[in-house]
Formats: sequence, structure tokens, C-alpha cells
Amino acid sequence: MIVESSDQVPRLSWLKRFPIPRNFKVTPESRIEKGRIWPAPADAKRIKAFEIYRYDPDSGGNPRLDTFHVDVDDCGPMVLDALFWIKNKVDSTLTFRRSCREGVCGSCAMNMDGTNWLACTRFISDMDTNATIYPLANMRIIKDLVPDLTHVFAQYAAIEPWLRSETPEPEKERLQSPEERSQLDGYYECILCFCCTSGCPSHWWNGNRFLGPAVLLQAWRWLTDSRDEAKGERLDALEDPFRLYRCHTILNCTRTCPKGLNPGKAIAEIKRAIVEREK
Amino acid sequence: MIKNGTTDGNSTPARPRPLSPNIQIYRPQLTSVLSIANRFTGLVLSLGAVGLVIWLSAAAAGPRTYGVMQSAIGNWAGQVVLFGCTFAFFLHLCGGIRHLVWDTVHGFELRSIYISGWTVVAASVVLTAAAWTISLFVTGWHL
Amino acid sequence: MDDQPVCHGVAPVTRRSFQSPLARALGRGAANSGVQHWWAERVTAVALVPLCLWFAASIIAHAGSDYAGFIAWIRTPLATSCMILLLIALFHHSALGLQVVIEDYVHSGVKFVAVIAVRLCCYGLAVVGIIAVVRIAFGG
Repeated sequence: MIVESSDQVPRLSWLKRFPIPRNFKVTPESRIEKGRIWPAPADAKRIKAFEIYRYDPDSGGNPRLDTFHVDVDDCGPMVLDALFWIKNKVDSTLTFRRSCREGVCGSCAMNMDGTNWLACTRFISDMDTNATIYPLANMRIIKDLVPDLTHVFAQYAAIEPWLRSETPEPEKERLQSPEERSQLDGYYECILCFCCTSGCPSHWWNGNRFLGPAVLLQAWRWLTDSRDEAKGERLDALEDPFRLYRCHTILNCTRTCPKGLNPGKAIAEIKRAIVEREK
Repeated sequence: MIKNGTTDGNSTPARPRPLSPNIQIYRPQLTSVLSIANRFTGLVLSLGAVGLVIWLSAAAAGPRTYGVMQSAIGNWAGQVVLFGCTFAFFLHLCGGIRHLVWDTVHGFELRSIYISGWTVVAASVVLTAAAWTISLFVTGWHL
Repeated sequence: MDDQPVCHGVAPVTRRSFQSPLARALGRGAANSGVQHWWAERVTAVALVPLCLWFAASIIAHAGSDYAGFIAWIRTPLATSCMILLLIALFHHSALGLQVVIEDYVHSGVKFVAVIAVRLCCYGLAVVGIIAVVRIAFGG
């Protein structure tokens, strides 16, 4: 009932999706059709079924939901291990991004059982009985579980995520006190997995103009960096009814961050900074 | 071969890339459910505000129009609407106070978000029940 | 180069646009406004907390009173002024909130018409309500 940290898996079993039609407001090319049910392994004692979103751009068909049966004893404990098991033993065309397998690179971000998280840090045992794996929500899909992140990375570039200073470079480091450095804690650790942005309803409806929690958290990271000298210009670039103020503090972002960061709080800090320079 | 979603510049692009499902599959959580409830109750209260103006205008027009208004509110459909509006009011009030606290950049830890969220739900139910119980006693309704 | 779909939850529009992703993300630049709307919403909200609680408490306390009792209550200076302040704060807050809702969900040109219509209706209704209160308070 009371969630203390984002790695607590949602437990509510009776309301897994909003009670709306499955293909509500879905355009024809995005409609998900029934997929294949792949056979279960013959001699497996513990089997877990996964419904996985598939899309093959070369086949000309619509996305579909395939059901795979995984031998849990033959495979590692994480959902990423299950995906590898399927790719190695059942269907080698299953496509997904992955790299570090330890929750630090952000490549394997996807929607599991309705919430966004990293596949390499989600335990199979924490998945629902009817486990579902979708790509990150509201993203254009290149293939299977691989989203097109071009637009969200462009939004990241738009906030100029680098140090801006007029003061000439010092001979050695730019100095920063421990207190000033601690202002970056909770913001520099972002791995740009975009779980938060993909889970934000405001970004679903206005993602072309609203920057989204990941980008705004990084915007705050640069705003709060004492070495940066462009706070005014950064706040000017953010103060916009759509870029910043589409955030209505829904807080799906904080709930879903796989690194335990707090984009909602960062956005509230930006809003406070804007009000404080006004009053 | 033209890749999906791309164009070679000479012909129309192959089929556009599909959009992954969002609200169709995303899990409702306390965060999103309370937020949409705050918006929904706000919309209900906007209609209620129209009703408030109608009620005031009926009162200004004299005792007869006021009496018509009161009987409309008094019948069971009116009471259901009024009950709904009261609950919407308290939910939006408590949710709004929660938002105002967030605007001071307090209460953003997940634990605080969840505790304040459930407090809003509980407080709305309690306040609605209290308001209706008290007004029933005031109008002299006996068990 | 990718096609450039617009990120709606509703029908995405595919354009064969060669605009770079950065240009699309930058759009028309920041409007440098938005905080006034945000601040006004908060100020009216803060005003509405005591005003609405007062109104609810008064309605409950006077539940079941007749027309004469209701008129007598509104005629008290406190009630008259609080009712007028309530109507102003309520409809201003409502106009701001509804504008945000329309901006969120409506993306075509209808948006501008809808926002104007809603704002005008809210302020019009506020005036109607204030006139009604004034007529009750100062009428015969």
C-alpha cells in the first residue's frame, strides 16, 4: 500500500490496466493482433509464460503478441535472462536492446507487467502469473522491443546539457565545495533510459512539445550545477506552457525510475526557481 | 529495399512505424489514478459552479423560483448529484492541498507521496460522510 | 531519415518531413511565459481553500432553512462579501484549470476557439452569480 522505493513491484492484482478498450484510440498501423503461441519446453519442471510484443518491419504486418513458455530453471533470474533464453532456444528473431546486464546502461528499458523498468534488474519471480512484456510506452517501434529514441534524445540536446560559462577556464579544476557538489546528487545518476518519460501521461498526449521528466531532470542537473553560468538563459528556455508546464505532478516518473531518482522533485525545483526570479 | 519508416526521397515511405501502447497497457498506480481523479473532480466542480450560479439566480428571482430549485435538489436524483458533488469537492480540495504542498518542493519522496495520497482518499471519504451526517442532523432527520 | 510522427496518444500524423530531430524538438522556441498562469492558479487555489470551507460549513449549518432564513444569511456583510469573493476565485480557478485541460487534449485549431469560449463563459457566469448575490443582498 505504501511504496517506499521505486523498486517495489506493483502488487495490485485487480486493476492492471485502465478499464478502456484494448485498442482505444490506436491507429491502424499500431493495432496489436493475436500472435503465435510458441510450444513449451518438453521436460521443464517450472514453466513461466510470457506475452511479448512483437513487430517485424520487414513482414508488412501489424504488431502482435506472442506467447513464449520459458523453463525458469534453465534460465537466469532476471527478465533479461528470460529474453535471452527465448532468443537462444526458441525464436532467434526476438530483438531487444541490452548491454551491461547490471542496471547501469539503460539499454533494456521496457514495459513489464504494465510498468516501465530495466529488464536486467526485474526478477522473473516478481512478474505476474500472466507476465506481459511491451516496449517502452508511447514510442515508435523499430522492431519488437526496440523503441525509436530519436525524438527524446533530440529533446535532451535541446536543453544544452553541457557546461556553459563565460569565465575563462581555470588552470586546474573549476572549484566546487562539497555542499555545491551535493546539489547534483540524485540528478547526475540518470542513465537516460527514458522509463520516466515513457510513463508520463502528459508526454503521451503532448510529447512533441513537452520535454518530459528525463530531460527536465537533466535540465535541473545543469541549473543546479554551481559551475554553470547560464542559469538565466536555461530558465528562459524552459519557461513555456508546453516545454515545462505540461507537468501536472502526476508523479508516474518518480514511481517508475529504475535508479530511484526523483524527476517530479526536479521539475518542482525548476518551477520554484522560475517563480523565485519573478517575485 | 526501403526500411520501414524511412524514405529514399523518391517514393512515399513504407508503412509508418507503429506506436507502442500507452494508456491501453500502462498499469494504474496511486500516482496516476489520484492525478486523473483530481482532474475529473475539477471538471465535475466546474459544472457544479454553473449549478451554483443557477441556484443563486433562482434565489434572487424570488421565493417561488427558489422553491422550485429546492424541490429539484430535494428529490432523490438531486440528492445523488449533490452527494457526488460533495465527494468531488472534498477530493479536489484535499488533492489540491497536496498539490500546494508539492509546489513548496516538499513531500516528494515516494513514501511521502503514497502516505499523502492515501490520506487524501481517506480524508475525502471521512469529510463527505461527516458533511452529510451533520447536515442530516441539522435538518432534523432521525434514525 | 525517419518519418516525423507527432507524438499524440491519438492519431499520429506521419509527415515526410526532413526537419532534423533537434529542430523538431526546439519547435518555435520557448514562449517565455507560463508562470503567470501557474501562479494565478495557485493564488486562486489558496484563496479557495478557506472560502469553500466557509461556504460548505454555512450550507451545512443552514441546511433545511427556508427562503427567508437563506436571504437573511446572505444579507449579512460577511456572507455577501465572501460569496462574491468565492465566485471570483472559483471561476478564475475554473477558467485556468479548464484551459489547461483543453490544451492537454485538444491539438487542432479548435483548441483556440474552445479556450476562448470556456474563458468567456467562466467570466460571464461569475458576473451573473455576483449580480444575483448583489440583488439578494440589496433587493427589497
